[in-house]
Amino acid sequence: MAASEIHGHGQHAGMWVFPDATVISQDISAKTRSMPKPFTIALAVTGILFILGVVGFVARAADSGFDEIAPWGYYMAMFSMVFMVTSAAPLAAVAFRFTKSHWRRPLSRVSELFSIIGILNVAMFIPLMLVLPSLDNPAGVVEGQLELRRTIWIEGPIGAPLAWDFLGVLFLALTSMAILWVSAMPDMAESRDTATGFRGWVYRRLSSNWYGTKRQWNAQKAGLALLGAFYFMIMIFVHFEISSDYAQSLIPGWKDSIFPVIYSVTSIQMALGAILITMFIMRRWGGYEGYYGKAPFWSASKVLLGVTLLWIYHLFAFFITFWYGRMEVEQNIIKYLITDTYAIVFLVNLVFTFVAPFVILIWNPVRRSAWGPSLAGLLALIGGLAFNIRIFVGSANAAPGAKLYDSFMEHVPAPVYPDVWDVFMVIGGISAAIFIYLAASKLLPLLSLWEVKEGTMYQKWGKLFRGEYLILAKPE
Amino acid sequence: MQEGTPLQSRQINAELLRTILNSPKWFWIAISILGLIVLFAMAAAGIMINKGMGVTGLNRPVMWGFFITNFVFWIGISHAGVMLSAILRLSKAEWRRPATRAAEILTVFSLMTAMMMPLIHTGRPWRLVYWIYTLPFVPYDYARGIWPNVRSPLVWDPSAVYTYLTSSILFVIIALVPDFAVLRDRTTGMSNRIYGMLAMGWQGNPRQWKLQIIAGVLLSALILPVFVSVHSIVSWDFGMAVSVKSWHSTIFAPYFVVGAVHSGVSAVAFVLIILRYIYGWQNYIRHEHIDALGRLLIVVATGWFYFLVMEIIFGIYGREADEIAVRSLQFTVNPWAIWMLIFVVITYFLPVAIWLSKTGRRNLWIMSFACISVNIGMWLERFLIIVPGLARKQLLTFDWYTYRPSAIEWILVGGTFAMVSMLMLFIARVVPLIPLYDIKEAEILRTSIKIGRVSVPATFRED
Repeated sequence: MAASEIHGHGQHAGMWVFPDATVISQDISAKTRSMPKPFTIALAVTGILFILGVVGFVARAADSGFDEIAPWGYYMAMFSMVFMVTSAAPLAAVAFRFTKSHWRRPLSRVSELFSIIGILNVAMFIPLMLVLPSLDNPAGVVEGQLELRRTIWIEGPIGAPLAWDFLGVLFLALTSMAILWVSAMPDMAESRDTATGFRGWVYRRLSSNWYGTKRQWNAQKAGLALLGAFYFMIMIFVHFEISSDYAQSLIPGWKDSIFPVIYSVTSIQMALGAILITMFIMRRWGGYEGYYGKAPFWSASKVLLGVTLLWIYHLFAFFITFWYGRMEVEQNIIKYLITDTYAIVFLVNLVFTFVAPFVILIWNPVRRSAWGPSLAGLLALIGGLAFNIRIFVGSANAAPGAKLYDSFMEHVPAPVYPDVWDVFMVIGGISAAIFIYLAASKLLPLLSLWEVKEGTMYQKWGKLFRGEYLILAKPE
Repeated sequence: MQEGTPLQSRQINAELLRTILNSPKWFWIAISILGLIVLFAMAAAGIMINKGMGVTGLNRPVMWGFFITNFVFWIGISHAGVMLSAILRLSKAEWRRPATRAAEILTVFSLMTAMMMPLIHTGRPWRLVYWIYTLPFVPYDYARGIWPNVRSPLVWDPSAVYTYLTSSILFVIIALVPDFAVLRDRTTGMSNRIYGMLAMGWQGNPRQWKLQIIAGVLLSALILPVFVSVHSIVSWDFGMAVSVKSWHSTIFAPYFVVGAVHSGVSAVAFVLIILRYIYGWQNYIRHEHIDALGRLLIVVATGWFYFLVMEIIFGIYGREADEIAVRSLQFTVNPWAIWMLIFVVITYFLPVAIWLSKTGRRNLWIMSFACISVNIGMWLERFLIIVPGLARKQLLTFDWYTYRPSAIEWILVGGTFAMVSMLMLFIARVVPLIPLYDIKEAEILRTSIKIGRVSVPATFRED
């Protein structure tokens, strides 16, 4: 471990760590290169499960083909789960860089590294393009049905929805990887002369022009700001697309303007959860204790608490409007997604996404620990999986065949349980994401070296009257 | 982010208490002018009560017009207080300090003003008693099940708004106690006795400070749900109505809340610029503070715009003929279409374009213009939600009509702006509109870190 000053006492003990900037690069490079046994086992296990997922996918395709969306409900849920986490994770680095929060420095790279999984998102999205039913009602004008089903692509512009959805997912992945590249460039440049093999080749290719001139630093910061703003907008747009095209528009009569917001909020909550869990694991078992103080956990936990409250607020806004509206279609949708068909899944969703994280995170001593926010994050991920199952399995099976074009949902369908291939696909897809992340962590360090080094200049410990306190500098 | 020169405690007291201890010459002139406008508005209300609602432009089916628009607008303004005080206090944003008190007080006055509007709108305000009491001599009551319907969002409204008003007043008072003590020590006679009473024995000992800080943090946390609930419930006045197309939307609650924060924070930024100008508080309300508010507003405005887009898209998404007809009225039929265009431009595109530039954020004239623009836009937004929705023929209505506000309504709406301005000026004579202790604390925590040859502004953090 690098020589780190660990400051604070009492409840502040271990909150802030100030790594020694002179040895940090060497130490982190060594950690990145090393392949400890638990890591190798994790890589092997996730790799095997990944293959199992591929088996599940092939079997499902052979069984059901790509003509109907119904058999792909669990695949959609799994895709959405992975997509939600990985699309929103880089936002943590982007957003807290914007707000110039010093505590974000240790978690920036952990969050940006999720960008790599964007490749998986793009690949997994392709089968979904094949199963999405057409906007046009094949039966034409039928009484009680719509000629063009409800869609955000109001009159179905050229390429809608598939081309737009695909471009969205693709651009999101490319932009997030651009953020990772620009952000990691100084770190790669620092190691390019010493790194060997594939890592050295990648570093040399991706950072060949970086010499750390003032102009380059300014360009890097401006680039990160611009890419970040762009990323945020694309992310919100793609969430809107996915949540509408693959969920809401597949349930006849479900008109819910808040749903894309709920989707984005859930996504941000899950992403924060995933970041916290990754940090916790690296801190506990990866030797990063000297770099990840408790401050990032504490601060991120407050954001997580806020997002958790936002989730329940938005859900309640949806529920009360439908419940009070008392229209038949709204009653049926509540029954389908909340109180009847998927009641148990909803309960799991509610408990793990709101109740449990809220109960954990309201306690300041728990928020100040590393385990508390990480546990809340883990629960949020479980809740998020339930959310995706409820919504996407629900939407894929809400209106079989021609019923998809009905004006509204007249009858509440029964739940659909997963078969063995569904289980394989869900576990395999999630494992694939973990596998890619683990592999990427051996390519790029899990610490943004330049940001942490910069942070050590802007933070110090100082005396005020009789006490010692943290001093935070905020340039401009 | 710290600009300006360090301030001494004595200087802070002298400069911030100047408005109370020595009133400027223009004060009574301004109060008189504003007072006249308020009197004029009261006379208009009197005429309306005397002649009946026929003197307004309200008629079937548009029975909600300027008054309700104005009600929603002022409720919106009230959201600045908690946004700036509670949320920024919890997030430890240093730049919040000079803005909190003015925002909290604006919250209280705007809530009071907002609550007057439904009363005026009833046409016969004394009938409020039917809503509240079940009395033997009152002809309509709950027991007969005629009126009112307690399950209606219109009944949730006063509950939420009065809770918010009560907690906001408490919030202001808690934050004022140390400043009351400073005033107690600098006044004589009756003022001294009143400030002494309000200071509640404040001596500034460590225990009192600790309690005051804990109370502030607790209230900040407790007021947040109330803050969110108020405008959510106001939005449900509309959102729960299935029969008026374009109102029944699940996004209304967060859309209204974010919109409220947008208009409220803009209003506070404008008020701060005015205070800086009229009281010469350049040392306290600095360009950096207005700059920070501008940056915050970019985020809030963009969030609001996202909700607006969702609201509109999902209105059309439903493919329901009635709703599409309302949207068509809003977007394609004049004057609504022109108003809609103006509203979107002045509420989002114009101000955000200004705030994106550092020069724009730091030029107080331009910032004032942007903030006023937002507030005109947000007023229009409420108007464009309420009137076209009602004006369009709906299911179960037998006629349709448009709405033209009468002079009485214009005067009453203008009167509310004069009233809030007058109350703000009055209160500046009684309490410091910038919290003394908060500014002093900032001065204590202010420091710098030397990096190479540059000294970077820094702050001590207590945790």
